[in-house]
Amino acid sequence: MSVKSFTRGGYPLTANCFDELVHDDGSVRPPAAAIARFIDKHGATELCQRQIQLNQTISDMGVCFTLYSDGSNIDRAWPLDVMPRTIPGSEWQRTSAGLKQRLTALNLFIDDLYNDQQILKDGIVPAELVLQSKNYLAPCQGISPRYGVWANICGTDLVRDGTGRFLVLEDNLRVPSGVSYMLENRTVMKRVFPELFADSTIYPVDDYTHQLWRMLASLAPRSSDVPCIVLLTPGIYNSAYFEHSFLAQQTGIELAENTDLFVEDDIVYLKKLHGKQRVDVIYRRIDDVFLDPQTFRPDSVLGVPGLIKAWAKGNVAIANAPGSGVADDKVIYAYVPQIIQYYLGEQPLIDNVETYLCLEPKQRSYVLANLDKLVVKPANESGGYGILIGPRSTLAEQQQMAAAIKANPRNFIAQPTLNLSTAPTLCDGALEPRHLDLRPFILQGKELYCTTGGLSRVALTRGSLVVNSSQGGGSKDTWIINDEV
Amino acid sequence: MLLKSVDNIFWLGRYLERLDDTARLVNATSHLLIDSHKDTRFSWPILLDVMGLDSSSTLADYQLPPDATPEQASIEYAVMAHLISNNASSVSIRHTCSQLKYNARSVRQLIPRDMWEELNMLDSFIQQHCQQPGGRQQRYNLMTEVSRRCQMVVGVLDGVMLRSDAFGLFNMGRHVERADMTTRIMDVMVLQQLQPTQIKRPKFRWTSILNALGGIESYHYYLAHQSSDVDAIDYLLTFADFPRSIAYCFNRVAASAKGLPHSINILQQVHQLQTLLKAAPLSELSTEQLHSLIDQIQAGIMQLHQVITEPAAAQQQQLSA
Repeated sequence: MSVKSFTRGGYPLTANCFDELVHDDGSVRPPAAAIARFIDKHGATELCQRQIQLNQTISDMGVCFTLYSDGSNIDRAWPLDVMPRTIPGSEWQRTSAGLKQRLTALNLFIDDLYNDQQILKDGIVPAELVLQSKNYLAPCQGISPRYGVWANICGTDLVRDGTGRFLVLEDNLRVPSGVSYMLENRTVMKRVFPELFADSTIYPVDDYTHQLWRMLASLAPRSSDVPCIVLLTPGIYNSAYFEHSFLAQQTGIELAENTDLFVEDDIVYLKKLHGKQRVDVIYRRIDDVFLDPQTFRPDSVLGVPGLIKAWAKGNVAIANAPGSGVADDKVIYAYVPQIIQYYLGEQPLIDNVETYLCLEPKQRSYVLANLDKLVVKPANESGGYGILIGPRSTLAEQQQMAAAIKANPRNFIAQPTLNLSTAPTLCDGALEPRHLDLRPFILQGKELYCTTGGLSRVALTRGSLVVNSSQGGGSKDTWIINDEV
Repeated sequence: MLLKSVDNIFWLGRYLERLDDTARLVNATSHLLIDSHKDTRFSWPILLDVMGLDSSSTLADYQLPPDATPEQASIEYAVMAHLISNNASSVSIRHTCSQLKYNARSVRQLIPRDMWEELNMLDSFIQQHCQQPGGRQQRYNLMTEVSRRCQMVVGVLDGVMLRSDAFGLFNMGRHVERADMTTRIMDVMVLQQLQPTQIKRPKFRWTSILNALGGIESYHYYLAHQSSDVDAIDYLLTFADFPRSIAYCFNRVAASAKGLPHSINILQQVHQLQTLLKAAPLSELSTEQLHSLIDQIQAGIMQLHQVITEPAAAQQQQLSA
């Protein structure tokens, strides 16, 4: 049986794009061999059948995300493509080391910014860039959380360029989401493709929840007791509530809203059935500025009054620490290679995507002259909002963006339009290439941990580069395959 | 567990049981109809009254579909629409299921994964199949399936859930609801077949209803082992070995209350209800007295609900102060 026949010659590769499963010559990459054998044996009809079975499993399992639309919240079934994405284990080892290196450096950077600011004094990163960032929170100055680690949970978006090299697209250091879908995707796939899991060595992913608990527990200010850990959620109408409740359930920690917490004498307490209980660690899934109306936005209805003071006194740990977002500003992103070099004395193991800073006059002129070719992003948005994709934009959109850049150059960066990698995706009964990215999750507390793979998000529309589930993106299970002989 | 989850987990138990019991009530009454003589006209609207709705105004507001068949234009169909398919009706199976899902979502972190999946499957089944009340035969099968799926959830939960406060509260919710529903079903029996009179009540032997409650065999067992003259009323109220009897439900609530911070209040209320049951000379009661006893029990059950969930509210105030 030839693995070449996997696509039966009918899979249309995209020019200048790396395909995750298929070589340029149409042959199947070794990690995908088991999938190829399966399709050769059972055919496309069976694949479609499994997709139906998979959708039913997702509905039974209640895997969903909440979309806010037309003034109401709607639960949508989580979109998962039946075709997995495969990555060789040896490549993942290097990538994982690079991700840990990056987070280590970013945490040293944040700790420095809120304390000595040595990196600013040394002129590696322009001081005004940091100090004027709305994500630089003055009330956090002089604080150093346990282990000097601020961003305990990081979701890094990786993409491949045309040659197949992984690049970091962005670091999500505030409240990154998606890990529950990585875990649920695997549970679903194991039910739908039990034979494929028997036929190759796919590394498991389900260690994450235990690692998350260990990391959170390592942050507890009191060492003698069993720590009381809570996940702070904005509530059941939040778009990520599925993930919040899933993680609380899987880690065995409490799922609390702000009204379940209160602060007394700078100690945070949880209102439990048998009375109040002191809280040691808060895994917050609420943005910085909403955390505490006494310190940040006074109109916040999600926050806990007095929380920041309790944290500053070291009576409670907050993950990620308030103020961590200063390092996931897309302008700061451009400096990450220098930041790694500065703190670790190492070359970055994973490169950045080439980035133009609109605040630099020369780079800005280049950006303004090439808006039809570049991707322009606002520095502080997430979810794929506010982005201009040059080659797919209208002249009017480009003019609008040009005006926005001139009005506030600091708020924009631009990157070349990437030839994101593709993977075979089941579309109307046939396998077609669709662009995708990868979000691994990295934990840092006492120890460092990186997920085995991550959440692969795929743009379901032909040629589209937008992978966000809120904008019609789907997902794939990510298989890290043992390739050591 | 969190203080605020008390309400959600208790209601989760109540709604799950309510689904099961509503399905049983629908089947019980359908069987009652089959058992009735042609000349006894079963009064369907009474079902809405026992569920706590005002049947005359509810039915007056009911909008017939424009293309209604003669069957759909019947009172029976309208009542069944309210009990099964009408999302806007607070007692319908569909509405109850939405409430069940809402409460499950709120306390998902307390619910084992397997049970969460069963609840999802129950919800998709109901939202898909309970859009129309259907004809009698179809309805019977549908209600049996709803009931069966509710039992699946309970079974899964029993096999995997931690024996925690949440487990106790969930079970209290189930048994409070079941006691409440059993009184409602008894109400149908009493109200339907008799005008309230002052004379000693006749014997009730509604095998159809006991069948729907799954208790016909144990009822026969009960009859065979009682020295005194008893009937279905005695059985449903006092035979604590039968899991749908009121006495059994109260025993379970008392057993589940152990370990909760407000267990004393709960036990006191259960005790009052048990005393009420024991004191009543059931076979001597007139129909009117029986009806009034059922009313008293229902009031006591409402009180019990308050006691279970209210200390939480009181403590909440104390903590926030």
